[in-house]
Amino acid sequence: MGMPAKWASGRNGDLGGWKWAIAVSLGIMLLHSLSILLFTRGFLLTRSELSQYSQCNDVADSPCFPPPPDQNANGSCWTKPAVDRLVIIVLDALRFDFVAPSAFFAEKKPWMDKLQAIHKFASQNQSTAGIFKAIADPPTTSLQRLKGLTTGGLPTFIDVGNSFGAPAIVEDNLIHQLVQNGKRVVMMGDDTWLQLFPHHFVRSYPFPSFNVKDLDTVDNGCIMNLFPTLYEEDWDVLIAHFLGVDHAGHIFGVDSTPMIQKLEQYNEIIEKVVSVLESQSGPGGLHENTMLLVMGDHGQTINGDHGGGAAEEVETAIFALSLKKPPLPPPAAADSSSCKLDMHGRRICINSIPQLDFAATVSALLGLPFPFGSIGRVNSQLFSLAGGTLNQEKSTTGDDSSPLEVENWMQYYVNVLCINSWQVKKYIDVYSSLSLIGFSEKDLLHVSKLYAEAQELWSSTSKNFSLDKSHKAFAPLPVVKQQLDAYSKFLGSVAALARSNWTEFNLKLMGLGFFIMLSSLYLHLFLIRRLDKQCGLQSCLSRYSREFFGVTFACILVLIRACSFLSNSFILEEGRVASFLLATIAIYQLRCAIAKKIMLLEALGLCLLVPMLRISIELGQLKQAVNSLFLKVDPSRTLGIDNDSQLWMYVAEVLPISALIMVACLLYKSTASCSSQGILKYVVAVTLCNYMLIPLHWASDSSLFSLPPFLEGIKGNIIPRVTYAAGLLQLSLLAISQLVVRERAQNLEECTVAKVLALLSAWSSTIIILSGKQGPLVALASSIGGWCLTRLMALEQDTRSESSRSSLSYVLPVTQWSLLAVCMFFSTGHWCAFDGLRYAAAFIGFDEFNLFRQAILLAIDTFGFSHILPIFGLPLLVAFCYPQRQNKQVFSMRLCQVYLIYGFITAVPVTFTMLCVTIHRRHLMVWGLFAPKFVFDIVGLLLGDLLIFLSALYYNA
Amino acid sequence: MSQVGGQTETSRLEFGSSSSPSSSILLQPMNHPRKKAPESTDAAVPFASSLKLLLLHLICALGLPSAFWVAFNSYSLSLIQNSAQTLLVVWAIEASVVILVYSLLRRNPDQCSNVKAIVRGLLGLLAGALVNALGAIVLGAPVGIQHFTKTIHWSLLMSVFTFVPAASVFGSSWTDWHRIFAQTKPIGSTDFMICFPAHGAVIGAWFGAWPMPLDWERPWQEWPICVTYGAIFGYLLGLVVSFGFVVYNNQRKHAKGE
Repeated sequence: MGMPAKWASGRNGDLGGWKWAIAVSLGIMLLHSLSILLFTRGFLLTRSELSQYSQCNDVADSPCFPPPPDQNANGSCWTKPAVDRLVIIVLDALRFDFVAPSAFFAEKKPWMDKLQAIHKFASQNQSTAGIFKAIADPPTTSLQRLKGLTTGGLPTFIDVGNSFGAPAIVEDNLIHQLVQNGKRVVMMGDDTWLQLFPHHFVRSYPFPSFNVKDLDTVDNGCIMNLFPTLYEEDWDVLIAHFLGVDHAGHIFGVDSTPMIQKLEQYNEIIEKVVSVLESQSGPGGLHENTMLLVMGDHGQTINGDHGGGAAEEVETAIFALSLKKPPLPPPAAADSSSCKLDMHGRRICINSIPQLDFAATVSALLGLPFPFGSIGRVNSQLFSLAGGTLNQEKSTTGDDSSPLEVENWMQYYVNVLCINSWQVKKYIDVYSSLSLIGFSEKDLLHVSKLYAEAQELWSSTSKNFSLDKSHKAFAPLPVVKQQLDAYSKFLGSVAALARSNWTEFNLKLMGLGFFIMLSSLYLHLFLIRRLDKQCGLQSCLSRYSREFFGVTFACILVLIRACSFLSNSFILEEGRVASFLLATIAIYQLRCAIAKKIMLLEALGLCLLVPMLRISIELGQLKQAVNSLFLKVDPSRTLGIDNDSQLWMYVAEVLPISALIMVACLLYKSTASCSSQGILKYVVAVTLCNYMLIPLHWASDSSLFSLPPFLEGIKGNIIPRVTYAAGLLQLSLLAISQLVVRERAQNLEECTVAKVLALLSAWSSTIIILSGKQGPLVALASSIGGWCLTRLMALEQDTRSESSRSSLSYVLPVTQWSLLAVCMFFSTGHWCAFDGLRYAAAFIGFDEFNLFRQAILLAIDTFGFSHILPIFGLPLLVAFCYPQRQNKQVFSMRLCQVYLIYGFITAVPVTFTMLCVTIHRRHLMVWGLFAPKFVFDIVGLLLGDLLIFLSALYYNA
Repeated sequence: MSQVGGQTETSRLEFGSSSSPSSSILLQPMNHPRKKAPESTDAAVPFASSLKLLLLHLICALGLPSAFWVAFNSYSLSLIQNSAQTLLVVWAIEASVVILVYSLLRRNPDQCSNVKAIVRGLLGLLAGALVNALGAIVLGAPVGIQHFTKTIHWSLLMSVFTFVPAASVFGSSWTDWHRIFAQTKPIGSTDFMICFPAHGAVIGAWFGAWPMPLDWERPWQEWPICVTYGAIFGYLLGLVVSFGFVVYNNQRKHAKGE
């Protein structure tokens, strides 16, 4: 890494020189990248979404037997359909112990045994009904679970796909296959389904799911539509998603009266649904061959939380009831089922099924192609509930099962598993060839070996089968059993591989990343200390006591901010917390200013600026609250402004323009006061021209101003593109001048100020135009804020000469600078979530999508005011108050120190964010809140490191 | 042995601070009889014996619970349900207590009548409320109209804690204000009694704001209830600390006198 280089140059005595600075910034950047890479590998599980879809005729490629051509020609595709219609009742957050009889648990709790109807039907129809313990995979949030249930895969936090932002499922899924194969799907209840499948349902009755306090709207809507629909025949699959239990859990917890009332209500509903279905299940009836599935998408803890991987959260239940009679007794039972007598003496058996298997099993039951990305296996028990109907022609005797029938079924099931294994193998192959982060070579080899073994076996077993066809004989049972085991082994190892890749955190990697991060913090501190020593500070202790208060104060504030990330509420309010801390420092400085009787105006100005920023942050929060599940903002907290009034519209148009003019004036004045570096003049002139173009761009969009006719031509994308081009030109000009012109300036400080101004002005026009109308206001605020902060540096100054001052006097101002940067991030209407990105900004100046270009524009918009400008502007803190005619080496050392302190202050919160996501990795909001915050933080940190590195290149003298 | 060491140490400190050229230029002789000789402190503040100071501290401290008691029993108001009205009752009672107590401690009691000190205190109440309200808004207090009365009453209470004592005692002597609030260099019993409770109230209020963003959905998380609790707690703590300092100061002086 860069560390040896650093040590070497450190020993050379060139401490603080520009080579040293570059090496240090590069080294720290590498250290951070390594740490983040390791941590992210352990924490952020990613999976690529493939856009392939299974087709009906794909099955011809498989080594297995296609289903016999169907006389009725309806829907026989990969397998022969076992059920015609399917009623799926999803009860959100259905715990396993809501469904299973209390006899299965050590202790009877008040919420158990409430769904008596399920117990009754399960014990009455042993062969056609069953209760399953369904094991979900984390993350156990409704959206991810629905995705998992329908795709048969394991959704992760970042499913890399082309649906960035929109939640609609683009992968192959059950609903898509249903629609593709001519099944009509009706949906009612939770509107999440409509987000996932916007165009798939023939009819839908969605109800809003966001109000957690509302226990009944969704459920009543479901009930109102469910029963009439059951009598209709214009659908094949009906999905009813009830939310009451989930909401009751979130609000009241599991052990509560509303929860028990909800369960009792559901008991009635299930009873009624079954009676309706049974009333029409006679031969030729509407529900002659219908299957009912009552299932949960995930469980919940006693407090009603879910999202993590605790047993209570992942254990949910499926109750399946096939209306077709008489079916075959479950042939492959008894391996994983356990039976007990419930409190009424009824025998109830419970099998276990991974939720992963749901999509494949339902596809097999309906005769559909399995979803392309499904890695589940067709569950024998669930499949057999309706499987009896397959051999209906042959089954003459109803109840007792002849060995012939069992063998027949087994053989059929083996063929299904063959198709199943072939499909999973195909997916694994395609995935590992297309995905960037695939599976490891070793695992793939293992899986391939298992599949090859199973196929080898199949080639001999299938010979028996083909014999069977002609000779009406069956393959011997042990051979079939062996074949089943081979396929099960293969499918099991694929599922285990997928789980380890997509659902399990790697705590070792996370810990390693975290410790590297900690060591980088230590390195920061060590380097700052070393630079101090280099400056010739022996009596560090006495100096420390003099600057003790400011430094301790700054440390406490940074620590408070960092610790606040351990709580979800403070992450949501991060902007306000930052403005609170900034205001605290501002008030402290006002007090110092009064004490020292200098810089009063600047301190007051800063105090007045902070509330402005806060109001802007709160406006941003209002936007966030619109589609946030977690954040509740009292709209009255901000000033109520009537957006529609004419006056307000004029103000909204005029205010940015006047702010822009003021920014331009400030820039011009500060340039004029800076005694003239050649290149600076040109750069600033170009920026000022850009500033004049920006209002024209707005005016071309505005309805209030009509452009003069000769300017009509500039509508659209020309002005933003000109601005970008000019910005690039300015930057390259600065870079070239950096390379070509060797500075011989005597006055180092003025030279640095000029460089800073040139760089900031080069960036500003692009950032302002990307930020839209708020851009100039924020730019004005940040220039005023920056000016106040640099002036207030004088408070830390005393009569001693610069070279004898320790870096400690810079700690408080740099802390303040970084807090101001954080406030800027939030006051430009951003927040740490993916819906907090201003996607519109990426399309200013361009209409068509180009990933690279748009990503850069989006990054500049997101991090412009909070990272790019503050980091490039940081030398102002040193240069403005630096006593004239000082040692050049000391100056560059100061600059290094300030950058190191800034890096340290931004790295501390990131370290705490890492700690926080490690602690909360099974928290309800980990994917909704902590993980996005983590992503924003690490991107910000790496970008900051890069910018510090660039600054080290640029500001070396 | 150690007592003697501590004694010399502190006396040296005090000597250093009072004889440093900057402070002697700043301090006006009129307002600082202490400057001439440390022994004259007791003469300038007639109530400075430990027992009396304990009484004054107790009156200030007990003013708050009694104000809450009055609010609850006479008007059946509680801070959580009727924060604005409760704050009104509390600041009104506590302000009268504080103004009366501190007007007894006023600087130059011979030249300045009691009534004048009370009027100064009332003026200080208004000015302090303005400053406190602005400070709260800078730090993030809500600015909506429906929060307006709450903010006003809260800042009046904060003013009672911070500005009123200083206004009653010092009047408009800028140097004293500067010394207490900007430089935090209290000298003598009265200064302790002004400085510590005021700083305690402000720091307590700052910490009191921290539970506000938490999603516990408790009624006391509303503005300004928990901030008021924090401020009251800090104020009481400040009174305790100030009493401790006063007693220590008196003992030291006593020992020195002997």
